[in-house]
Amino acid sequence: MFKKILIANRGEIAVRIIRACKEMGIQTVAVYSEIDKESLHVQLADQSVCIGQASPQKSYLNIENIISATVLTGAEAIHPGFGFLSENSKFASICNECGIEFIGPTAEMIDKMGNKSEARKTMIEAGIPVVPGSKGKVEGIEDGLKIAEEIGYPVMIKASAGGGGRGMRIAYDKEKFISAFNTAKSESKKAFGDDTMYVEKYVENPKHIEFQILADKHGNVIHLGERDCSIQRRHQKVLEEAPSKVISGELRDAMGKAAVKAAKSIKYQNAGTIEFLLDKHGDFYFIEMNTRIQVEHPITELITGIDLIKEQIKIAFGEKLLIKQKDVKITGHAIECRINAENPELNFMPSPGTITDLRLPGGYGVRIDSQVYSGYTIPPNYDSMIAKLIVHDKTREEAINKMKRALDEFKIKGLCTNIEFQKVILNKEAFIEGKYDTAFIANHIG
Amino acid sequence: MNIELKKPSIPEGLWIKCISCNDTIYRDDYDEKFNICPNCNKHHRLDVTRRLEITVDKGSFKEYDADLKTVNKLNFPKYIDKIELLEEKTGLKEAVVTGECKINKNKAVIAIMDSRFLMGSMGSVVGEKITRAIEKATAKKLPIIIFTASGGARMQEGIFSLMQMAKTSAALKRHSNAGQLYISVLTDPTTGGVTASFAMLGDIILAETGALIGFAGRRVIEQTINQQLPEGFQTAEFLLEHGFIDKVVNRRELKDILSKTIEIHKGGKR
Repeated sequence: MFKKILIANRGEIAVRIIRACKEMGIQTVAVYSEIDKESLHVQLADQSVCIGQASPQKSYLNIENIISATVLTGAEAIHPGFGFLSENSKFASICNECGIEFIGPTAEMIDKMGNKSEARKTMIEAGIPVVPGSKGKVEGIEDGLKIAEEIGYPVMIKASAGGGGRGMRIAYDKEKFISAFNTAKSESKKAFGDDTMYVEKYVENPKHIEFQILADKHGNVIHLGERDCSIQRRHQKVLEEAPSKVISGELRDAMGKAAVKAAKSIKYQNAGTIEFLLDKHGDFYFIEMNTRIQVEHPITELITGIDLIKEQIKIAFGEKLLIKQKDVKITGHAIECRINAENPELNFMPSPGTITDLRLPGGYGVRIDSQVYSGYTIPPNYDSMIAKLIVHDKTREEAINKMKRALDEFKIKGLCTNIEFQKVILNKEAFIEGKYDTAFIANHIG
Repeated sequence: MNIELKKPSIPEGLWIKCISCNDTIYRDDYDEKFNICPNCNKHHRLDVTRRLEITVDKGSFKEYDADLKTVNKLNFPKYIDKIELLEEKTGLKEAVVTGECKINKNKAVIAIMDSRFLMGSMGSVVGEKITRAIEKATAKKLPIIIFTASGGARMQEGIFSLMQMAKTSAALKRHSNAGQLYISVLTDPTTGGVTASFAMLGDIILAETGALIGFAGRRVIEQTINQQLPEGFQTAEFLLEHGFIDKVVNRRELKDILSKTIEIHKGGKR
């Protein structure tokens, strides 16, 4: 096994990875920016290296400094976590050139799935259902209009390089299409430096269902069931649960098989997530693949009993998957609430600052993945997520009750959080009944 | 079954350091073809081979006077030793390569200086090769394009070097009298006797972004006139602002600009 791993990330995911490494007897190296000197991941790691100034470009995205830190400390592998360099194929290929194992897929696989129109094309070829629309990129507005007429309005105009809702527009008719196409294109150019677009049928009020897969370097691929990530605010996930209330055993098998087939079609390695849209008729469509560990991975861990980070490390080391598909059993129900330092009253404006007092929830079936401690100052430079509160219980109802109880216990003083907002979600009837889709927050809370 | 654990190491050449902005750039991000820093847009110097690659149509270059060799008329100590050493190092016989080529299908005579060879200094061979190239262009009714990169006249050849200034200039005058086009492309660095002769005689004078162009060096001038010189003094951009040159060109666009210019001036003097 690896003797030493460098974690090229910060915050709760860095802490999460360090914990897994420690349990496996692997030494850890934390990297940090100047502003993150007092961070928990720095305190928990065996070694730490400062890699630059607070701005992500100068530190957590600074490939040269991260590679130098790895060589300097003699770490044999890098775990990229999520965000930052986790889906950067250039970084993966540089690691490879330097004899460092990148804990994740190869650069080629990242590239194949990173470009969304390219990924769509690959999936169509593999026979995976995709939302009706263009086969790959759309050449121009004329081409786009033709496709829109074919599949029928409303349509979604999307940027190939897109993410987080940017470079994305809905068009309900021909006239709207023209203006939406142009704005989405220029937005994409600005945000991603790439204005390749594609067009899809707009699936109204779908559920966002994703399947966790694990694939080793020997061609074995399994899925670990789904996560329902439909509770979103402006395309950002807020609360996730597994399993989904609306998915039957039969549908799970069908979607899981499609997910495995998708991963196999690109000879995928390591942990990955296949995202689907599920419409009200029970039809599902591939939307994209995330070639990294996800924020919401703990809910899958809790219902399957499989530690995904440890599996990632073992796969990277070349071990064969010991779990077969038939061994994967889904037990109970898990929910994750993302706790963000933000002010729901002020349009969810980020609320960085110093935590003056902290009381964490606990008890049976409650898990907290977080980097915060009393006295910790949340810097304004990064993502506002400061903790993930995850609960597990026998049934969905019990899990909801447990989450409400845990949120009640959770006290953070010194800054604003979305804890109360999460409670509002949990108390909504539509949520309790499981009758929700991606428009839930907009329609029920606003 | 498991992977082989290696001691991590950074392979040679993975990072390229830009001497202008000091930034370290990943090899694949670096525009090696044009030798331009993606961070600060510095146009680093190009050798003759790469200059030909980005300028002339593939397979179209026919070299002139490849065997013209330097002799040590003044018995300057160790001059020939230096020349031989540079021949071995660069694969060149002198600081300029001349010949005939096509640029986007337009025929032209071209002369390219290489600063790796005694800082592109102009001795008898450089002057002679350039003069012959100009004369061939005149005779064949072709435009001549000269890429300058030089520290000036070659001190090891004394007065013979200085004479090349007059010789090349005279040839250009005859070319001009014949109604033929001369495009001068100033690249980093263009200084001394080269600036004072053929570099500045172009019908059209282009300069690459950020190139150093001058006669005497900045420090020499400052010490002589006892004044501080303005910022950006002797850069291509400064010269454009002060009317010495016609256009500052990004190297990536240079080939197209050259071919368009040739096309516009086809047929010579009207």
